[in-house]
Amino acid sequence: MGSKPCFIDKLVVPGDVVLDLSSMTNQTIKLGGGLQQDHDAVTVVKAGILRFSKPSKYWIESSHKRYIPTVGDAVLGIVVDKRADSFYVDIKGPMMAFLPVLAFEGGNRRNIPKFEVGTLIYTRIVKANPGINPELSCMDASGKAAEFGPLKDGYMFESSTGLSRMLLSSPTCPVLEGLGKKLAFEIAVGLNGRVWVNAEHKSSIILAANAIMNSESLTPVQQKIMVERLLDRVN
Amino acid sequence: MEQRLGNTWRMTVNEKKFIESALESELRVDGRRPFDYRALTIKFGREDGSSEVQLGQTHIMSFVTSQLVQPYRDRPNEGTLSVFTEFSPMADPSFEAGRPSESAVELGRIIDRGLRESRAVDTESLCVVAGKWVWSIRIDLHILDNGGNLVDAANIAALAALLTFRRPECTLGGDDGQEVTLHPPEVREPLPLIVHHLPIAVTFAFIGDEHMVIDPTHHEEAVMGGRMSVTLNANGDVCAIQKAGGHGVMQSVVMQCLRIASVKAGDITSKIKTVVESYKTDRALRMVKRHAPINAVDVNESGGKAKQILEGQKLKSEECSVSQSDDMDVEQGRINKRTDKNRSFTGGPSSWDPYSEGVNTDELKATLASRGSVAVPMNLDNLGDTIRDETKSDEPLSDVNPVSSSTDSAGKEMATSKEKTLQDAVKPKNKRKKKKSSNTAAV
Repeated sequence: MGSKPCFIDKLVVPGDVVLDLSSMTNQTIKLGGGLQQDHDAVTVVKAGILRFSKPSKYWIESSHKRYIPTVGDAVLGIVVDKRADSFYVDIKGPMMAFLPVLAFEGGNRRNIPKFEVGTLIYTRIVKANPGINPELSCMDASGKAAEFGPLKDGYMFESSTGLSRMLLSSPTCPVLEGLGKKLAFEIAVGLNGRVWVNAEHKSSIILAANAIMNSESLTPVQQKIMVERLLDRVN
Repeated sequence: MEQRLGNTWRMTVNEKKFIESALESELRVDGRRPFDYRALTIKFGREDGSSEVQLGQTHIMSFVTSQLVQPYRDRPNEGTLSVFTEFSPMADPSFEAGRPSESAVELGRIIDRGLRESRAVDTESLCVVAGKWVWSIRIDLHILDNGGNLVDAANIAALAALLTFRRPECTLGGDDGQEVTLHPPEVREPLPLIVHHLPIAVTFAFIGDEHMVIDPTHHEEAVMGGRMSVTLNANGDVCAIQKAGGHGVMQSVVMQCLRIASVKAGDITSKIKTVVESYKTDRALRMVKRHAPINAVDVNESGGKAKQILEGQKLKSEECSVSQSDDMDVEQGRINKRTDKNRSFTGGPSSWDPYSEGVNTDELKATLASRGSVAVPMNLDNLGDTIRDETKSDEPLSDVNPVSSSTDSAGKEMATSKEKTLQDAVKPKNKRKKKKSSNTAAV
């Protein structure tokens, strides 16, 4: 038990034993991605930061260019192909995801949405089983559209999954906060490492997109300075 | 089908529209203006003739190698130059391993044409024996990351590698003067290629109806209607133009491209030259370090030891020439024999030094000139002695030049006298011995 707290929110590498189950017999814990149980020991199988969420969830967070679909994640997908009953959507995962044509608010056989190939869609993963194509939906759990759906105009760029998680973290990350003070822009972040930015002026979009792309390897303070410098140069 | 879909990089309608519409107000998605080039970094590997170029996201590695081959029938006294490209699937998922794609062939052809048609590399100096042996220069280009504009980046990588490449020195010998001896780099300093000028490729992308951008990124290449690669040198001489298919281009636009490209070519040429210069100085400094311990070794102490080292050298040179070409005569052994004979004639070991070949005569001249007046007369005496010795011996030497070798040894003594090592303790004895032996020879 003594060693447990010191691993949380720290960098761990494969082979690290982060939990000793023999000392926590009457607890139920849930292990997420990157952790493996080996009898009484829980070992790390991928490098990253160990996260813990009360009451009992443990998982490893790391940054990748490729995305492993997880149920409940909001992602940005690109329509690749259209079939009678579903769209094929690229979500940067190992497999194409299916988006059923009826998975829209008020969707029925009469009004099937028409998306051309290359449309950018903000969507949610509802099924993600290994070996089966993941399934997407453009409704929240209560059947409302809730901002999901195709994104018009703007500019989409690719990032790592770590960067998109940073952008979604709360409190708001310094890049977005700094940019938001001076610029008015709209942003959609997919957990699969895609970011969409829209603004009234083209220059604002380019500025915001480049600031976000540059912030990947910077500390919060550096991000703040970088954004301030960028904004000073423009104005 | 599923697998193929997964492997291709795709672009959204949003990006396409945005890139085109941003250009209307002269903006590009990475914050450049239409005629700005991306940041260029050139690095060199440890070995001569390897370079690594980064142009924004694009990353290319280039290697230059040489081989002795038979020349083509129609050009018996010209060396050959060939370009090979390797598109790794790691660079871009759309590159397939194995058979070269259309773009890989096009890239190789553009670079090959720029270098060959403009005669940038002096191929006649690569001839060893006309009609029999010429050097074949091979440029290998490895695409490590595709961030757009592979042509320009690969061209710069090829030029940087060519400028730093050195081929082994070879001499002719034998009864008919047709036998080729290859000298390993330890024995004789390898020779750089003669590059007359640098043909720089500058690529323009045509997007939409009237927009033109320089140095397109991967995204812009996906949107563009046509592309034009202009190869020209810093003097503004156009070496090649590649405009394959797609968008039609007005004559005035082509001329405008050429004007812009000549400015960019000047910038890139100066960039390459400064980087290559600094590499050469580094290399020269490294050479000094590498030769220092060899100089300090006692050469003339005992014949047995020298012979042993000689044997090793012979082996090395044999290996070298075997690897270079299968059916080439190895001359090194014969030279050694002859020098042995020569030594018995003159009666003094001072005229021969197995390590002298490793030292550049030009450098030595420079060191001789810079040295104090005390050392030089003594060496001149020494030199005169050896010359007399050589004139006495009736068998002239073809490969080992006695004058240069004695100056070499003299110069080296001075070079080592600068550094204080344990080996210095042995040096005075040598000098005495040497002087004595040469004196006896003169008498």
